[in-house]
Amino acid sequence: MSVEKEHFLTSIESNKGIIYKVANSYCKDEDDREDLIQEIILQLWKAFPSFNPNFKLSTWMYRIALNVAISNYRKTRKRNQIIQPLSETAIYLAEDKSEANEKRDLLQSLIKELKEVDRALILLYLDGYLYPEIGEVLGLSESNVATKLSRIKQQLKKKITAQ
Amino acid sequence: MEDIELQQIWKSYDERLQEQLVFNRKNALDITKMKVKSELTAMRPIKIVTVLVGILWVFFLDVLLINLFPVGNYFFLISFGFISLVNKIAVGVYLYQLILISVVSINSPVISTQKKIASLLSSTLWVTRILMLQLPFWTTFFLSSSWIGTGNPVFWVIQVLITFAFAGLAIWLFVNIRYENRDKRWFKFLFGNYEWDPIMKAREMLTQIEDYKEITS
Repeated sequence: MSVEKEHFLTSIESNKGIIYKVANSYCKDEDDREDLIQEIILQLWKAFPSFNPNFKLSTWMYRIALNVAISNYRKTRKRNQIIQPLSETAIYLAEDKSEANEKRDLLQSLIKELKEVDRALILLYLDGYLYPEIGEVLGLSESNVATKLSRIKQQLKKKITAQ
Repeated sequence: MEDIELQQIWKSYDERLQEQLVFNRKNALDITKMKVKSELTAMRPIKIVTVLVGILWVFFLDVLLINLFPVGNYFFLISFGFISLVNKIAVGVYLYQLILISVVSINSPVISTQKKIASLLSSTLWVTRILMLQLPFWTTFFLSSSWIGTGNPVFWVIQVLITFAFAGLAIWLFVNIRYENRDKRWFKFLFGNYEWDPIMKAREMLTQIEDYKEITS
C-alpha cells in the first residue's frame, strides 16, 4: 500500500465520527447511509491530494462530507448503481449496547427535520467548532453564523422541552 | 433549556460513537480503488444519451435543411430553421450545465458550492422552456406558399386556429414553467416524474441559500 493511501486511511479512521455523523444526519435509512458513507470516503480520497496540511484536517473533512451529503439530492437512483456494492460498509456501528436515551434520539431526529444548510450549521456547532471555524467550512460570516445558530438552537430547545 | 444542555446531549451521542463505531480498513481501501470507475461514470448514462440524441436530432435537422434548401418552400425552411435553432440552444445549454456540474469543486465552502450546483441544476427548467418555443412551428412546416389563395378556406381557418393555439400554448408554457408553479396540477402532470425531483430540490436549496444571504445584508 502506498504511503499516501496509508496516510489517508489513518486520517479517515481518526475522523470516522465526522463521516458517520454527517451521513446519519442526511439519510433516512441504513442503505442510504451506507451509500453516502462510501461516496464521502471516495470524494475525500479524490480531494486528498489537494488537502493543505496547514489547515485543520477535521474542518476540511467536514466541508467535503457536508458538500457530498447536501448535494446528494442530485441522485435519483441508488448510488450503488454507480459505485460497486460492498459486502459491508467501511464505517458502521457495532451492536448497540448503550442504554436508550430519549433526549439523544430526539435531538437526532429533530436535526434530521431541519433544512439541509441549517443541519450543517448545528452539526458543526454541536461538535464544538467555533464560529470562525463554522464560517470557514460553510463560507459565512461570523455574525451570520451567530444569528442563524441562535434561531436554530431556539427551535431545537423549544421542541425538546415540549416533549 | 440552556445551550450547554444541548451540547451535553450531543456529547453523549458522540461518546457512544467513540465506543461503538467500527472502521473497516479493507473496505475503505477498496473504495479508494474505485476512483477511476466513479469518475468515468459520474455523468449518468441517461444524461449522456439525452445529449447524444439531441446532437443527432439537430444534425438530422440541419442535413435536411441544407439538402432541401434549394427546393424547400419558405414555410418548411423557416419552420425547420427555427426548430433546429431552438434545439441547438437547448442541447448546448444542457451540455454546458452537465460539464459545469461535473467540475464544481467540493473543496470549496459549502454555501458557495451548493449554490453553484443548485443554480446549474435548476436552470435545466430553462432548457425546457426554450424547447417549448418550437411548438407552433410543427404546425407550419408542411405548408406550401402555392396553397395560399388556392386552398380550401375551411382548411386555412382550421390551420390558422391550430397554429395560434400552439403559439399561445408555447408562450404560456415558456412564461409559466417556473418553480413558483410547482404545486399547480398541470406542472405536476408535466414534471411529476422522479427525474425532475433533483431539479425541484435544487430550487429549494437556492431558496435556503437566499435565506442565508438575507441575514448578511
